[in-house]
Amino acid sequence: MTAWWDAAWGVIRRDAILFFSYRTQAISQTFSLLFSLALFYYIARLLHATTLGTSHDYFAFVVIGLVIMQSLITTVGVIPGAVRQELVAGTLERFLVSRFGALSGIVAMLLFPTLSAFATGLIMLVLATTIFGLHLAATAPLAIPVALLGSVAFAPVTLLLVATVVVVKQAAVGTQFVMAGISIIGGLYFPVSLLPDWLRWAAYAQPFTPAADAMRHLLVGSKPQYSMLMDLLRLVGFALVLFPLSLWTLRRAIAFAQRRGTIIEY
Amino acid sequence: MRGRPLLELRDVHHRWRNASSTVLDDVSLSLASGEVVWIGGRNGVGKTTLLRVAGGILVPQRGAVTIEGCTPRARRGAYQRRIGYLSAGDRGLYARMKVSQQLDYWARLAYVPRRERRGLVEAAIADFGLGDYAQHRVDRLSQGWRQRVRLAMAFLHRPDVLLLDEPRNSLDDDGYAVLNAQVRSAAARGATVLWCSPRGEDRVIEFDRSFTLEAGRLVETT
Repeated sequence: MTAWWDAAWGVIRRDAILFFSYRTQAISQTFSLLFSLALFYYIARLLHATTLGTSHDYFAFVVIGLVIMQSLITTVGVIPGAVRQELVAGTLERFLVSRFGALSGIVAMLLFPTLSAFATGLIMLVLATTIFGLHLAATAPLAIPVALLGSVAFAPVTLLLVATVVVVKQAAVGTQFVMAGISIIGGLYFPVSLLPDWLRWAAYAQPFTPAADAMRHLLVGSKPQYSMLMDLLRLVGFALVLFPLSLWTLRRAIAFAQRRGTIIEY
Repeated sequence: MRGRPLLELRDVHHRWRNASSTVLDDVSLSLASGEVVWIGGRNGVGKTTLLRVAGGILVPQRGAVTIEGCTPRARRGAYQRRIGYLSAGDRGLYARMKVSQQLDYWARLAYVPRRERRGLVEAAIADFGLGDYAQHRVDRLSQGWRQRVRLAMAFLHRPDVLLLDEPRNSLDDDGYAVLNAQVRSAAARGATVLWCSPRGEDRVIEFDRSFTLEAGRLVETT
């Protein structure tokens, strides 16, 4: 197991080296977060929503949605493209011929973006608090373990998109579709209670809604839709079912591409 | 002198989808410890496919590839630990990583134990004459030096089976002498080397056996 973690650390280190080798990337991302917050701060000031209360309440609501959306952008939005880039650059072959293997290599590729998503979320909360007057609840530190659980529950979406890349070499359209869909049915920008009845089931058939609900409760003190325990149980359930299923699918996708001979195509 | 059999390909058969002919037609080959073997053949004849099958990258439609009982499917980790693989071309490097970082990264993927990792990385840098470039980013190196980095990665973890696809690519005379010395050194410690290239490198390096791949079949030429 030590060797596995050494190799996984090698992948994290590699991704960090590549990320920080573009020196302005972190700065431009921070400004991008600031602009997103400013945009929703002023949209919130226009609103007097009966569903959520004051404009301040909506801003608190949407900030958590933005934090989760940013974490999706840095994981679901980036990793399938990164794997495709590995295919193009011939570096995925390194995983295939290594003892670490392609499955472990791709799973390890989730780690740096997940760490990056945590850092992005933290920066976003700091900016929202210091510049836009967001009040964090005393329970905010408890959001860290919930965010970790959320990461495990979200990871299968990324792994399934990567499996698609391994087999059909493209997942850009699928990625955009998934991200846009999650932003609607995940309750990131508005409460899922506003969804029409025929679509509301989708809000409960994925892990993003309970994650957003639990994070909002812990970070800004909003009332959970059902209960905190129910949100956590749903997150654990999604993680326990979807994570092994996505690993199995990815393993099958790699084996299929190796048999078909398309694993080296891009 | 040939030692114990290491890499064995038995009746390996592979045909690309929509292809009119079979690329590997029941190819069998046994490579022994200490042996250096060359496979030549014209472009597109299937040399790279053969190496990819031997490297566990591609799974053939029929046939078996083993290293002393390990296969890329059963005991994959043990099989890959014993393989050193150089792909054709100049791919497989991270442009913005330094040479030493690239080698350390590979050592980790190859499960080189922590206590040995630094020593093996330094040895690979020395063996391939990369000392002056160890702290240089790969995208700032010439093609020849990049090829040395790729070769250093293939040899770094002291594999038992070296699969080299056009290893002379972009190397100058000095680089070629370094490669030749490392191939000989690997064979002397008991590794087997399978070298594929379209040109007749058997004129400048002494191989134990030479083959050409023609119409999916291996024909021994020495």
